[in-house]
Amino acid sequence: MTELSTFILILEGLLAGAGVTVVVTLVSLLLSVSLGFVLALVRQFGKRRALHALIDLYCEIMRNIPALTHLFILYFGLASIGFRLSSIAAAILGLGLIGGAVTCDLFRAGFAALPKGQAEAALAVGFTPFQTILDILTPQAMRIALPSLGNYAVQLLKDTSIVSAIAAPEIMFYARSMVTSSFQTTLIYTTVALLYLALALPLMQAIRILENRYGRLKA
Amino acid sequence: MNRFIQPYVDNAGEWLPLLLEAMGKTALLSICAFALSLVFGLLLAVCRNTRWRWLERGVALYVATVRGVPLLAILFLLYFGLPGAGVTFDAFTAAVLALALAFAAQVAELFRAGLMAIPAGQREAALAVGFTPYQSFTLIVLPQVVRISIAPLIVTFVSLLKDSSLASLITVDELALTGRAMATEYFLPLQIYVAVGLCYFLIAWPFSLLSKRLAPPAAR
Repeated sequence: MTELSTFILILEGLLAGAGVTVVVTLVSLLLSVSLGFVLALVRQFGKRRALHALIDLYCEIMRNIPALTHLFILYFGLASIGFRLSSIAAAILGLGLIGGAVTCDLFRAGFAALPKGQAEAALAVGFTPFQTILDILTPQAMRIALPSLGNYAVQLLKDTSIVSAIAAPEIMFYARSMVTSSFQTTLIYTTVALLYLALALPLMQAIRILENRYGRLKA
Repeated sequence: MNRFIQPYVDNAGEWLPLLLEAMGKTALLSICAFALSLVFGLLLAVCRNTRWRWLERGVALYVATVRGVPLLAILFLLYFGLPGAGVTFDAFTAAVLALALAFAAQVAELFRAGLMAIPAGQREAALAVGFTPYQSFTLIVLPQVVRISIAPLIVTFVSLLKDSSLASLITVDELALTGRAMATEYFLPLQIYVAVGLCYFLIAWPFSLLSKRLAPPAAR
């Protein structure tokens, strides 16, 4: 019985951070998807070589350096030259900038998978290039990218646990501070795992519903 | 700009050996963990395709659980949590195990996709010409699976390498932790964390390029 009441006490403590976890996940997801979409459009349809090289460089830098290091640069590094971000702002910005590179690739793969005839046909019947991209190609590319975007969203939810390292008050942060005061280490971290799982499962389910509804039509 | 560059020039002699040693530790940690996750992953993938239903279910549950739980939670559970249950690891072992357990699920999914991509006729033909089931798996099916999976496996290795930075939070003295220690010592966090990022980039980038090289043209 005492075990159960401790568990509930721990869960209550952790739930204090759940709000920040959810907000950081959602806002950085929004930031990554918008950034990634714009980058993908420019990279896929833009004509400027220099811009392509710049986007490629950005993606490589984001993808080959750990999130933890990016967060430290944004939070501790920038503060040292007088550009102070709050821990939550640094977390959202960091995860969003990294996610922009990840989703850029996912969107590009979506565009690349479309048959050439789609664009040619749209142009032939009189759509402007702009309309072709936005009205004909984008909706189809989105459908193709949806499953991998879903995987990315789950990954992002888990990755928010890293931002406890820059003291953003989310689930893992509360867990770590509880551990130092209560020594119920095993129980606390097990509860943490269960709580993340409880957040991830509905997200996975929502993605599955979206996929069934809007996903690529099965042949 | 000059003020940003100057500390590198002044401290190169002291920073380089520290960073190089830490890069070695990061590489060692990543390679050990990846090797272990390949073994776990292959076992899981094989168990996923057996006749025993409960084994399949167990593996599916494991993969789903690991997909939903952050690596950091697994890491803390192994390092800080298990001593409470009487099992103690040193930090490096705990980091290798946590990374391997987490990435084994991904590796298993890759192998499974690879296994499903091999037509059943390959195995049937091997059996028909007299290979034993074990031989037909190791000599006929597995090499083809490896060829399909190699590019995504390298991508997975790069993710593992990046996630090995989390080991710094359980006091493994790899790149990220060395960076933190240096940042407090020299009080130049921007320059030092950028240098740490560059070190990771130098290890990871060749693998990223290799994975693009090896990917089939359609996936590029």
